[in-house]
Amino acid sequence: MASHSTDTLALMELAIQQAKDALQFLEVPVGCVIVQDGKAIASGRNRTSETRNATRHAEMEAIDILLEQWQRDGLSELEIAEKFSQCSLYVTCEPCIMCAAALSILGIKEVYYGCANDKFGGCGSILSLHLQSSSEQPHGGAKGFTCTGGVMASEAVSLLRSFYEQGNPNAPKPHRPLARQATD
Amino acid sequence: MMEPKLANTLIRRLNQIAPLENLRHVKRIRKRSLEGGKSQLSVILCLACEDDNQWNCVPENVQELVNSYQLSPFIAQVCKYAASSKEEWEEQCKLWPTSYHPLTYNIDGIMGFSEEDSQSIFSFMKFAVELAKSSKELLVNAAVVVDPSNKQITATACDQINSWLPPESKHGHLFPALEHIGYEYYEVEDVQSSSITSPAKRPMTNLTNVKNEDKQVLHAKDSCSISERPYLCTGYDIFLVWEPCTMCAMALVHQRIRRIFYAFPNPKAGALGSVHRLQGEKSLNHHYVVFRILLPGELPTTGDTVAEIADKDVGADTLQCPLTN
Repeated sequence: MASHSTDTLALMELAIQQAKDALQFLEVPVGCVIVQDGKAIASGRNRTSETRNATRHAEMEAIDILLEQWQRDGLSELEIAEKFSQCSLYVTCEPCIMCAAALSILGIKEVYYGCANDKFGGCGSILSLHLQSSSEQPHGGAKGFTCTGGVMASEAVSLLRSFYEQGNPNAPKPHRPLARQATD
Repeated sequence: MMEPKLANTLIRRLNQIAPLENLRHVKRIRKRSLEGGKSQLSVILCLACEDDNQWNCVPENVQELVNSYQLSPFIAQVCKYAASSKEEWEEQCKLWPTSYHPLTYNIDGIMGFSEEDSQSIFSFMKFAVELAKSSKELLVNAAVVVDPSNKQITATACDQINSWLPPESKHGHLFPALEHIGYEYYEVEDVQSSSITSPAKRPMTNLTNVKNEDKQVLHAKDSCSISERPYLCTGYDIFLVWEPCTMCAMALVHQRIRRIFYAFPNPKAGALGSVHRLQGEKSLNHHYVVFRILLPGELPTTGDTVAEIADKDVGADTLQCPLTN
């Protein structure tokens, strides 16, 4: 942790606050901030339960705030692309494949994340969508971005742990109890 | 036929020197009960030749085993393919024992489609293609979400990738960078709406409609029991004109869609086989089954309805399904 600058840690602390907010609302505790010129310009936290939409991850929430704002401001496609290329994302958990792909399409500059996401991670764990070469742009315009993991990872993990201890009230009933009934 | 205590040694040795390739469902050993509580063991030595002299292809080291253990070889018939039902398996075992692993998942289409299913799949795909064509944009993807239990469309939508941009910046690339975000919008909105609605035919052609409908539906959901609606898109099918990109393919994993049907591969960005292959990523917590529908215009030489399993590992099935009218 000593290797991360105080600025990095301060920005990740904002993301952690978002994750704690999510936990309070019984959401999977993942939070993020999008940063331009050292300043957090948008934040997001998981809203999958509230929206009943499994794609409303923290990153999508923050991205949509910026897209809506910039579209309202009348920015062109190119200007928005230029904006995102100056932005960094600080997120408590490695972006999933969907979010990593979205960040790559948007052309975000860099991503700092807390803990790795060894089931869904799109920045090294399962796929490495951040490593696409920007010069060739082989994947329909998707660009690579620099990625730094392990920033305040233990805080991110302990939040997730406290969530999974309390369980997800919206998940379907597990199948195993049925098997137990059958043997009763 | 052999002594029971030799069975383990013999089978290990035989699996080394004469493995039964492509016959993994066939049990190597057969046990038959004899009168007086005794049993008789038979073991498969090797495959017999198909020509007249069936003993010609016994390998030398197998012959050595036969000699040293004083086995009495005979020719037996076994089933070439694994049983696909319990009844079939029981029949097979009369010939020679085989193993039977019933599918632990139940997804229609893996074992082929009925004529009726083929027709409805094809008509939903045609609907998606028409939807894409009705859009003013070039190369637009269209999606139709279907509840297969009653063959009702629960949501439809097209790419909205250019809808918010001034006309001069619209262009007809397949999937240029920023346009994906709209692509995401359509899929996310679309999938969400289907996840919270009770099945109802709701023809929608643009994002504004989708959003408006969503709001109405959110009100409506209070009057309908939550338990009647599936968890996310569990059990639903989606028909897409184009193979989805990585972002959208992963969104469909998150939404627990059951089957994806698409017509055209997307070699630059497709994530169901072209660039990535999410249905084969073992670590993901949900796996849909992917079918490519070959439309009549691009049918290969065979004209009949065919469902061919290209890849048999569970959760990674890519099925080719050329469908005719």
